[in-house]
This record gives sequence, C-alpha cells and structure tokens, in this order.
Amino acid sequence: MSKIRKSLSSMSASLVAILAGLIAGFVILLFSNPSSALKGLTTILIGGWNNGMKGVGQVLYYATPIIMTGLAVGFAFKTGMFNIGATGQLMVGGFVSIYVGVTWTFLPGGLHWVVALIMGAAAGMLWGMIVGVFKALLNVHEVITSIMLNYIALYGINYMVKNSHLFDSLKNQTVNVAASAVIPKAGLDRIFYIAKGRLNDPSAVNAGILIAIGLAVLMYIILNKTTFGFELKACGYNRHASRYAGISENRAIITSMAIAGALAGTAGTLMYLAPASGMHIHVEEVLAAQGFTGIAVALLGMSNPLGIIFSGLFIAHITVGGFYLQSLKYMKEIIEVIIGLIIYFSAFSLLVRDLIAKIGKRKTKKDKQSSKEVTA
Amino acid sequence: MDAVYFLVQQMMFFSIPLLIVALGGMFSERSGVVNIALEGIMVAGAFTSILLISLLQSGMSGQILLLIAIAVAIVTGALFSLLHAYAAINLRSDQTISGTALNMIAPASAIYLARMIQPNGVQQVQFTNTFRIEKVPFLGDIPILGRLLFQNAYITTYIGFIIFGIAAFVLYRTRFGLRLRACGEHPQAADSVGINVYKIRYAGVVISGALAGLGGLVYVIPTSTNFNATVSGYGFLALAVLIFGQWKPLRILGAAFFFGLMKTIASAYSGIPFLRDLGIPSDIYKMVPFIATLIALAFTSKRSQAPRASGVPYDKGLR
Amino acid sequence: MSDYIIQMINITKVFPGIKANDNITLQLKRGEIHALLGENGAGKSTLMSILFGLYQAEEGQILKDGVPVLVKDPNDANELGIGMVHQHFKLVHNFTVLENIVLGVETTRHGTLHMDEARQKVMTLSEQYGLLIKPDALIEDITVGMQQRVEILKMLYRDNEILIFDEPTAVLTPQEIDELMRIMRSLAAEGKSILFITHKLAEIMAVADRCTVLRKGKYIGTVDVKSSSPQELAEMMVGHKVDFKIDKQPAQPGEPALHVRRLSVEGSHGDKKAVNNVSFDVYKGEIVCIAGIDGNGQSELVYAITGLMPSTGEIKLNQAPIDHQSIQKRIKAGLAHIPEDRHKHGLVLDYDLQQNLSLKRYKTIEMQRHGFIRFDKVRSYAEGLIERFDIRSGQGADTSARSMSGGNQQKAIIAREIDIDPEVLIAVQPTRGLDVGAMLYIHEQLVKVRDEGKAILLISLELDEVFQLADRILVIYEGEIVAELDPKQTTPQELGLYMSGSKRQEEYA
Repeated sequence: MSKIRKSLSSMSASLVAILAGLIAGFVILLFSNPSSALKGLTTILIGGWNNGMKGVGQVLYYATPIIMTGLAVGFAFKTGMFNIGATGQLMVGGFVSIYVGVTWTFLPGGLHWVVALIMGAAAGMLWGMIVGVFKALLNVHEVITSIMLNYIALYGINYMVKNSHLFDSLKNQTVNVAASAVIPKAGLDRIFYIAKGRLNDPSAVNAGILIAIGLAVLMYIILNKTTFGFELKACGYNRHASRYAGISENRAIITSMAIAGALAGTAGTLMYLAPASGMHIHVEEVLAAQGFTGIAVALLGMSNPLGIIFSGLFIAHITVGGFYLQSLKYMKEIIEVIIGLIIYFSAFSLLVRDLIAKIGKRKTKKDKQSSKEVTA
Repeated sequence: MDAVYFLVQQMMFFSIPLLIVALGGMFSERSGVVNIALEGIMVAGAFTSILLISLLQSGMSGQILLLIAIAVAIVTGALFSLLHAYAAINLRSDQTISGTALNMIAPASAIYLARMIQPNGVQQVQFTNTFRIEKVPFLGDIPILGRLLFQNAYITTYIGFIIFGIAAFVLYRTRFGLRLRACGEHPQAADSVGINVYKIRYAGVVISGALAGLGGLVYVIPTSTNFNATVSGYGFLALAVLIFGQWKPLRILGAAFFFGLMKTIASAYSGIPFLRDLGIPSDIYKMVPFIATLIALAFTSKRSQAPRASGVPYDKGLR
Repeated sequence: MSDYIIQMINITKVFPGIKANDNITLQLKRGEIHALLGENGAGKSTLMSILFGLYQAEEGQILKDGVPVLVKDPNDANELGIGMVHQHFKLVHNFTVLENIVLGVETTRHGTLHMDEARQKVMTLSEQYGLLIKPDALIEDITVGMQQRVEILKMLYRDNEILIFDEPTAVLTPQEIDELMRIMRSLAAEGKSILFITHKLAEIMAVADRCTVLRKGKYIGTVDVKSSSPQELAEMMVGHKVDFKIDKQPAQPGEPALHVRRLSVEGSHGDKKAVNNVSFDVYKGEIVCIAGIDGNGQSELVYAITGLMPSTGEIKLNQAPIDHQSIQKRIKAGLAHIPEDRHKHGLVLDYDLQQNLSLKRYKTIEMQRHGFIRFDKVRSYAEGLIERFDIRSGQGADTSARSMSGGNQQKAIIAREIDIDPEVLIAVQPTRGLDVGAMLYIHEQLVKVRDEGKAILLISLELDEVFQLADRILVIYEGEIVAELDPKQTTPQELGLYMSGSKRQEEYA
C-alpha cells in the first residue's frame, strides 16, 4: 500500500514538472507568435507521431543516448552522487568507440561493433571512476571534479582528433567508422518507416534502443533485487550508517561512479556508431548536450531505471516534435528551453513529493493516535 | 618586449571576466548558496547586452554605448539569477539541479530569441567593436606600465579592478560582509542574532548574478565580433577560479590571472615566438586550468576553506 | 509595576502530529533564577524558543512587565531584553570572539565596521562578571567553556535582562559547572532574571529559586525550590513514583572477551591524540562503563574499536586480533555496536524497518542467494524481531524508519545488535534523548545480555546511568584512562574529580 502511494506521489511530481514546463513553453510560443501557438503546442505533444512510424522510429533513435545518460545520472543518484559529468564520460566513450571503429578493422564483422561498444563503455567507466576515486579517497565533491573532467575530456579529445588519422580536416570532424563497426539495425528499420511512393523511407532507429532498454532493466534488477544494490542505495541514503554496518562506502562510491561512467560511455558509443546518421565528433568547443539532457531524464524518471526508459522516450518525443515546429516558423530550440524548465521545475517537484509524503505521513500518524497506540 | 606587452594586454581580455564572475560566485557561495549557474547567467547577460549593442549601434557607438550595455548585462544577470535564488532559498530545492537548469535554459533561450528576432532566423548576434581604447590620455604615456595597462584596453578592465577592490572591502570591512559570511558559515547563528538569512542569501545570489551577467559581456566584447549563445565554459572556469582561490578575493585575483594567462597562451601563442617554438598545442593550454584545479583540490580538500553551510538550504522551521 | 518581568500565559504550540506545548503558563520574577524542568520531549525547548521568537505559539500570550507583547523573531526578543544561550552554541567557527559578540548589532562608521567601542564594552563586561575571554581568538581555537562565556557576553553586550540558559551544563566539567553557577548567581544579584532549562535535579537544588515542571507538553506546577526536595521534583517530572533502580545481581565475570592494549587515535587537529595509549579488558558477563565528560575521547575510542577510525595498538576479541580487520569482519567476529547517534550511524532513515533490521545480516546465507536478496526471509526475520522486542510502528516491517518515534528507533537498533548474538556489545549513550520508560527498558535489556554471559562496554555521560549499570568504571580524561573504580566503593563526587582531571590513580599516572 505504502509502496503504491510512494510511486504514485513520485510520479505525480514528475507530471507536475512536465506540465509546468509545457505551460511555460506554451507561454513562450504565445509571445513569439500567438496565432499558431496552440498548433505549436499540439505539434510538440504529438511529437514523433507527426510523421507516422518513421517519426516513432526517430523518437526511439533520439531516446537511445539520453536513456543511457539518464541511467548514468540516475544510477549515481542512487548512491548519493550528482553525476554532472555524464557529458564528459559520453564524449570519452564515444571517442574511444570511434577510434576502435576506424582503426581495428582486423576484427571480424559481427564482432567489430561489439568490441567498439565494450571499449567505449570501458573508457567511460574509467572516466567516471576518476570522479569516484576523488570523492571516496580525497573527499572532493563530485560536481566539481565532474565539471573539470568534462572540459579536460572536451579539449583532450579535440587535441587527439586533430592530431590523428581520425581527422577529416576538410569537414573538421572525425572520419567515418568502418561499416563493420556500425550498430546493426536488427530489422527495426522495416517496422519504423513511411512509404514514399514505392520506396520505404526508414527512420534512423537501430539496435541501440534495444541495448539501452536491456541495460535499464539490468540496472533495475541490480538496484532492487541484489545485495549489491542494497549496499549502493544504503550508501546513497546514509553513508555513515552504511560504513557502520560494515559496507565499504569507498567501494560503493567508486563502483557506482564506474558503472555510471560505463553507462554514459555506452551512450557515446550508441550515438557515434549509429547507422545512417553519419554522426561524427566535430571539433568544436561545446559539451555534448545529451549528458545534460540525461539529468532531466533521470529527474523525471525519479532515478528509477524503468522510469528512465519512459522519461527518455518522452524527452525524445518532444524533441522530435520540435523539428516539426519549424514548419510553423518556430525555432526548435524551444524544446531545449522546455527541457531546461522541466529540470528547474523538478527541483521544485522534489519538494512537491516531500509535501505529498508528509501529508500521507500525517494521515497515518493521526490514524495511529486515534487507535491510541502509545509510542515510546 | 613587444611580445610581453601583447601577452599582458591579451591576458586582461581573458582574466578580467574570470575575475568578475568568480567574485560574483564568491558572494553567492559565502552567503551559503552554491551557484553553478554562473555559465548560464553569463550567457544571459551577454545575450541581452550584445543584442542591445547590435540594435543601437547604427546611431550610437563608443564608451556610452558600452556603458549602457554594461547596465543591461548587470540587470539581466541579476534578474535571471532570481530564478536560482527562489529555488535555492525559498523552495530549498537542490542547488545543483536548479543551477543546471539555468545553464540549459540560458543558451537555448538565447538561440531561440535570436532566431525569432533577427531576420532569416540567424542565430549569431553581430556587433561592431567600437569600444577599444587605443591609448588612455596621460596614463598611456607612463613608461612600461602605460603600455601594459593603458594601451589597447577596454574600460571593462578598469571596471574589473574596481569591482575587485569593492568586493574585498565589502566582504571584510562592512556590516553586510560580516553578516554575509556568517550566513555562509553558520546560518542558525546568524538567525539567532536577528539576521534575516533569506534576505542576505538573496543579496548574495543577486550580486553573483549581476557580476556574472556583466562578466558575460566583458568576455564577449574583446574576444569576438558576434555572440553565438555561448561563453565557451567560462562560467565553469570561473567556478574553478573560485575554488582555486579558496573563496578569498586576493587568491581569486591570482587564480583569475593564472587561468587567464593559460587561455591567452592557448589563443595567442602562435603570435609569440618562444611559445610557438615550444610547440605545445592550444588544446593543452586550454586543459591546464582544469587540470590545475583538480590537482589543487586533491591536495587541499582536507583543509578546504569552503563556506561550511554552502549548498545547504536553510530551513527556518528546523532551527 | 508587575512582580513578574515575563509571563507566558496559556501557551499552546502544535507541530504536525504532536502538541509540543499544551496550555503552559510560566511566570518569571525579576532577579530570580527560575528552573524549567522536564524530561526529553516535555516541551521545554519549544517553550523557550517561543519566548525567544524562534517559533510562534498558536494560542496564549506573552507579557513583559504585565504588558502583552509580540515576539515574532529574535530581533523582537532582543528589543524586549531577552537573550538566550542555546544548547548547541550559535557561534561562527572562523570568526573571532569579538566578531561573534557584535554580530547582528554591529557598530559602523561611514558604512564600515567599527570595533573599538565594541571591544571596550565587551572587556568591561568581561571584567565586571569575571567572564574571562580572548577577544581576538577564533572560536574554533578556544575551549567549550570559553565558548559558553562568549555566549553569555553576547547577551550582556545586548543589555539583555532576561537570560535563558538551555541545558548549559551538558558540555561542562564539574569545575566549569560550579563556575557557571557562580556566574548565574552574580548575574541574578545584578538584577538579571534567569531562566534555566535542565533535567538535572542537583543543579536546580544548587542554584534555582523556583522551578516550573513540564511533562509531555503539559504544565505540572511551579514550586519553591527551598521548600521542595529532589524526590518531589522527580515525581512531578516523571508523573509517578519513580524507582530508577532495576533488578541487577552482582556480575559473574568470566574469560576476557575484549582486550585493548596501548590504543591510540590521532586527533583531528593533529597536535594532540584523541585517544592516548589506552589499555583495558572487558570480561564476559560484566558491564564496564567508560565515564567521562563529553569530548574526552570516548567517541574516538569506540570508533577505533569498531573500525570506523584508524588506530594504533592492539585490539583482541576472544583472543583473536581484530585491529587490522575491516568493519565487516569485526562484526562477524562478534562485535555489536549501539551507536551514539542513531540518525547518523544507527539507521538508514529512508529504508524501512525490515531493511534496517537486516542491515548487518543481508549478506548471510539465509537472506541471499547468488547475490539476490530473498525478500521473504528478510521480512520474516524482521517480523520476528519486531515481536520479540515489541517495536511499535505504523506499518510494521514496511514502516519507514524516519517516521518512527525515537524510542522505537532505539529499540530497533538494540534488537538488531543483540540478535547478532555478539561476544562484545558496545553501547554508547544508549538512552540519550529518551524518556524514563524507554530508558528503564533499555537498561533491563543490557543487564539481560550481560547475564547471558556477554561482555558489555558502556559509554555514558550521565552519572546516574553509570552507577545504575556499571560493574566496573573506567574514567577517561583527555583521551587517557585515569582511574578504575568500583561503583559500590565510590561516590559521584569522587568520580567527578577523576573526570575533570584533578585526580588520577597512581597506576594510571
């Protein structure tokens, strides 16, 4: 009973944040161009469905990396860490996977992308672990370490791209990875497409989304069903009590950041090894936005891995909706504003949730008092 | 010798915004509110003020226009930071989350607005730089010093130094400064002697917003001819300056110049013979401040001077 | 003019779920020392917070010199001449003594701080009342006793005439307590009116003129201390005739269970050791109590034995060395620990009761299989403990630990620790913040564990508890054991001398 109430109240908090974000977005649309504001809002809400099954496929495609970064942020949250470094871990993972994808062509076809994926995850893991080590052994706050590491990753990767055979100096970006390193489509392109005459116009969806959902389920099991997850969450809630109970908090912090880093690294791999899109690392001085979007995804999903699947899909859904906004003469950046606002409002909604929980508690307390139970 | 003059003049362009923004962050954190939204606030301040310049520059130019832009940047930053203050102080929400939100909202809004306002949906805001001072009268003629500080300069540099002086004075010599520091260290103690912790923290955050907004403008003016909704991580770099400077004005000054020097070298080393000969690429210089901060943190975290209550929401009900 | 300088009439204050003050009346005469007595949770601090403007009462009014006044915040209180020394000092650690005193009422000139006048006034007051301070020292560098004098000077500097002391003796040595009593008397003699919150009867008898007693948020009565007795006050406080004694047979010590030799722990400031070269044994079937004033190394000693802090020296449990083992291995070896701070160490407040009860057992064979938790086993185990130890909560095993009462939280910890079936049980202030009923229950449980042949190391700051439970007393002072005493052969006064470091047994010199 209490568990149902708990999850309901946390869901309602997310819904409040989304609603507030959308209303704010609508107000901006109204100010920009009142006549088509309502149409704009519905376009955002219809999202991928604006373009049939292809649009849905695009939603899945955009959801893939942000589900992964959402997991990276949410998993660390469970151990009490704010992983604002997902973006750096993503870039490091992406870079290594591109390196493997371009260079290790000696690997057989079916194995090449798998190895690239694993190497990318491993690189992200190492990058995340640095944060954990700084926190556990040196007591440096993870947010500060992460911010520094984000920029070190950015400039380091720019340097390495520019000074290696990965560089396509004409386009100022990395060269294409080998075909064998591209993540397979797993038949999804034959489901998510629209017919254009006699030709199929497929979406960019690929096996990455299946990997992301699979990993989310795995994280859910680890967190909720295993002794390891029990330890991680205990550390997140109260590191002193965990230490007292014989749980090694240092180990928990480092492993949790390592796993978070691996998840974000995987986000990078799934992004840069995706087929069709022709994603490349551009040499520019901008941090990958997917890392920060992951914070919104994790917050809306209440750091629950299964919730993160849905919040990731939702954010991708309105992002795709944003592309169709441009036909109404709105700019697609409105979606990023809305996502930012949703994060802002979810900072409130944690409060909303506490409030609901408090009201619930007050009720049970009253029940208790009326049944004349004496508490020591 | 010319190379040194050039380097110092350039260094001012990079160091002064860092100094201003980090001093802003100091006021926020020493009042007890962590402000990682500095980056976003810089973007907001730079956006409105540069937009204003681009709209007014046909009829106006030079220092008057710059001063108006400065006022706009300050007001924008202060107003935008109110969002953070409200979430962090009134709602006691997680300060990192609300800061992150501001960091996302600012550039996205800047691009959105720029594309909606400007013809053809152009996202860059162009402006003509009419603000550089070739040589300050009299002062520019002082041997050595004149060339270092009073030639090829902007009034923003002097404003930066004035802000530094005022900030240090306010923090250590005034009643407001004493109360601000008390709120950042032990808000319950401040409250118990009748200090309104919420008000002081609002003041801290709004000062940080005003200075970060100004810093955004100060950063863009000498280093670019258009504004593209980014201050390229300068807000975060200022945060690093603040930590490296251990939340103290004089050390922040030192850190701002060290980090600024690294940035200068990264962008201008090809123009300076002996640095060019070293052959270290610019990306490495850009990384140095961040690596230096990490190393400094690793060694000083055990005796960090961070305000004790920084990042901890103050709840009157729990006193 | 009214006889009473302050009157709080029919005050009621409700917090979510509880009535902290229920129709309470308190009248303070000019120039008197008035004690406010009550158990933990009786509503003393709430009432004083209302007088000081930290909370607002739902009902009732406050009169100053017979005139109704509103106290909305500490500024109002200050203007009415009300000052307060809080139980946890409200001092900024990296400010100087002088800065702390003037904070909030600073004198400025041309907008800048101007400290000279303030310094003069502070030094005059300091001499007048014999409150020795170092005005330019940082708070973090001075003793707790001096910090308290700074708090008193804060009130005097503001010309407060009504002074509230909230549990001021908890952190002081017996000598410092005497000194404080002297200061309080001299303040009263100068015409200041003093409210003195405490639950220690001896202090009331020593210094107070009158005493108001609260119980469970209700007003019980006000008595003249001279015509009353500690027994009467205790009965008013608890509500029934109290027999604090529990049934306890003489100890039957067996083999040594805990063996500590030359144990040292580094201090946090680096210069002085928190625990210095401590050696002792605890035998099976006895309760050894470490007595001492707070902050003399008790916490560090416990942290060292349980593995929460690194240490040097030798620790053996049933002859097996444990000093280099992880916390987990020490627990497995049979070391149980009822921690000092149940919210910091004892419980994961966001976990529910069953998770907290299995906090040290979730890895055992019966509760997991291949790393997966067996939830049914966890639940049935927890339900067993809940029944055996009578742990009361709203939703049984599913209750969030945060929503439980302090007494039941402590019961849950004790159930968990006793059920480990430990060789050695370390209990640190196990009854802190609890009422008399819960206290007696916990004392009985500890004696029961002892009688099953376990070794118990008890750390307590309350001398009553020490004499109630201990079979042997070790006195700790500045990180060193300075005496071993037999509770039947010694008195609280003698114990106090050792605790304050004024006396030391030869074998510990």
